[in-house]
Amino acid sequence: MRRLFLPAIAMVCLTSGMAADELPRPVVQQYRLESGATDVTATYLSPLRYSGSVLGASGTWSKAFNHAPESTVMRFEANSELRDMLNPAKNAQMIGLDGNFTWGMEWRKRLPYALQVTAGGSADIYGGILYLTRNGNNPVSINAYPAVAADASLSWRFNIGKLPCLVYNRVHTPVAGAFFSPQYGETYYEIYLGNHSGLARFGWWGNSFRIDNRTALILDCTNVAWEIGYTYRHYNATASYLTTNINSHLLSIGVIPHGIGLKKRAQINSPLY
Amino acid sequence: MISAMKPSVAKFHGICRRIVTAVAAIIVALSFTACNNEPETSIKDPYYNFDMLTRIVGDHYCFFEQKDIDWPKLCAEYRQRIKPETKQVELFTIMAELLNELKDGHVNLSSPFTTSYYRKWWSDYPQDFNLRTLQEYYLKFNYFSTSGMSYKMLNGDVGYVYFPSFSTTVSESALDYVLAILADSKGLIIDIRNNGGGMLTNINTFVGRFIDKEFTGGYIHHKLSPAPNDFSAGYPVVYKPCDKERKQYLDRPILVLTNRSCFSAANDFTSVMKELPNVRIVGARTGGGGGLPFSSELPNGWAVRFSACPINNCRDEVTEFGIDPSPGCEVHCTPQELAAGKDAILDFALRLLQNPNPQYSY
Repeated sequence: MRRLFLPAIAMVCLTSGMAADELPRPVVQQYRLESGATDVTATYLSPLRYSGSVLGASGTWSKAFNHAPESTVMRFEANSELRDMLNPAKNAQMIGLDGNFTWGMEWRKRLPYALQVTAGGSADIYGGILYLTRNGNNPVSINAYPAVAADASLSWRFNIGKLPCLVYNRVHTPVAGAFFSPQYGETYYEIYLGNHSGLARFGWWGNSFRIDNRTALILDCTNVAWEIGYTYRHYNATASYLTTNINSHLLSIGVIPHGIGLKKRAQINSPLY
Repeated sequence: MISAMKPSVAKFHGICRRIVTAVAAIIVALSFTACNNEPETSIKDPYYNFDMLTRIVGDHYCFFEQKDIDWPKLCAEYRQRIKPETKQVELFTIMAELLNELKDGHVNLSSPFTTSYYRKWWSDYPQDFNLRTLQEYYLKFNYFSTSGMSYKMLNGDVGYVYFPSFSTTVSESALDYVLAILADSKGLIIDIRNNGGGMLTNINTFVGRFIDKEFTGGYIHHKLSPAPNDFSAGYPVVYKPCDKERKQYLDRPILVLTNRSCFSAANDFTSVMKELPNVRIVGARTGGGGGLPFSSELPNGWAVRFSACPINNCRDEVTEFGIDPSPGCEVHCTPQELAAGKDAILDFALRLLQNPNPQYSY
C-alpha cells in the first residue's frame, strides 16, 4: 500500500508543479446574435417549401484542456433559432423553434504561419418543433436528434494595422445517433394515446444529416473582442416516406468578454489559437 | 475616454464600430428580404395544382377500398376538364367535384373565396331534430348551461343533457356539477343530435364518468406509406374511469340520442357508448366520419382536408358509414310532429326510462 501511495503523492506534486508553470487557461466565451434567411420542407405538415426569416442566439465556451493544454481543447456550445416562414402563396404561416447543445473535446495542432487546426468529437443534442398554423390534426412536426458528432476547425491569426484578428472556420456534423419520426400517416393523437413504437430511428448520414458551418472574423480590442460571421445550418431527416429539410443562412455579431488575449501583454493558452 | 486613447487605438475602435454597424445593417436587410424562389407562374398553374391535389389525397386518403373508389381513374377523368387557361374559380369547382366523389364529410377544399363541403351525408336524410322544439316544449326555456352542455331534470326524475358540439372542451369540474345536480335521476339522456364533432379528447372526459374499469372502445390505424391500403395494425383506444374524487354515473340506464347529423367525434362517441352494457342508442343512424382528418395544401395556397386515419369500433370495424341505433331503438321525427312540439325521439327515450324494456336488463 505504501509503495503505491508514495508514487501517487509524487505524481500529484509533479502535476501541481507543472500546472504552476503553465500559462493561464481562461474560458473563452463567445456570445452571438444571429439573423438571416431560412427555408423548411416538412412533408408531414405540407408538401410545399416554406421560406422566411430566422433569428438566433448562440454561445460557445471553450478552454484548453488541463491535462494536455497544448494539444487538446474542450468546448461547449449552445444555440437556438426561431424561424418565421410563409408558404409559396404567402397565405399560411409556419413557425419553428429549435435548439442544439454540444459538448466535445478536440485535438489541436498549431501550424506555421499562425495557423491552428483542430479535429475531435462531441456529444450533441438537437431538438426542435415546426408548427404550421393552418393544419388541424397534424399541426406540428417534432425533430429530435441526440448524436455523436464530428468537429473540425481551421483558424488563422493576422493583423489589420495594429488590430489583432483571428479568422476561423468551424464545421460540426453529427455522425450517428437516434432521431424521432412518426410513421407516414401517424397522428400525434395516436402517439398521445400511447403508441410509441417505432418513433426512435437509428440516424446516420444515410437518413439524417446535419451540419453547422461557421466562418467568422474576430477583432480583438484588448478588453473585449468582436466577432462577425456567417453560419450555414442544415438538417435533413428522411424516414417512413417523410422528409424534413431545414436550412438557415445566418449573419452573426458576437462579443467575447475580456477578448481572446492577442492584445494583452500577459500570454494565455487560448483554445482558439 | 476615446480622447484619452492614442490616435491609432481610437482609429481601430472606429474601424470596429463601422464594421459592426455595416454587418448589423446587412443582417436587418437580410431579415426583411428573405424570400422563396418559387416562380409566381408555377404556383397558379392549374395542372400543377390539380396533380398535387390528386397526389396528396391519393397518398393519404384512407377509405378508397371501403368506398370502392378507383382514384386514379377519377383523377384522369376530371383532369381532362382542365385547360391551361382554366381560371381559379373554375379549377376550384372541378377539384371540389372530384373531392365530392369521396362522399366524405371530412373532405374540404378551402380557397380565399369559398370552402367546398360534401353535404349529402346529412342533407339526403331526415333531420329528426328541432332545437326550438326541444327548448320550448321540453326544456321550457329554463335549463342550466355549462361547458357547452345544457341540462335539466325532466319529469322530475330523468336527467337530460344536450351537448351540441364536441368542439367545446368539457371541463371535468363542470361535468362534476352536471352529474351532481342530476345525481338523483333514475336514468340519464345524453342528446347529441346535430353534434358535428370536434375534439376526441372530450370522449374520454365523458366516457370516464360511465365506466368503473378500463375498456377498449376502438382501434386507430394509420398509413405506413403512400401505397394503397398500406395501414398499420389497429392501436387500441383505451378508456379509463375518471379520478376517484370525480362524480360518476354508474349502474343506471343511459340513453344517447342521435340523428344523421352526428358526425366525426360524435360518431366516435356513439360507437364507444354503444358498447357499454347500460347504454342504448336511440334515434337515427349517425352520419359517420370515422376517419381522423389530416390537412395539407396546394401550391396556390388552397388548403385541403381529408380522412387519413380510420378510427374503428371495439371490434375493429369501420365506423365511416355511421352507427346504427340499438335494436328496437330506431326512431324518427317527422317535420310535422316537430313543428307541433313533439320530439318523437326524446319521447321514446322518456318512455323507455319510465318502463324499461326487460330485454335490455338495465
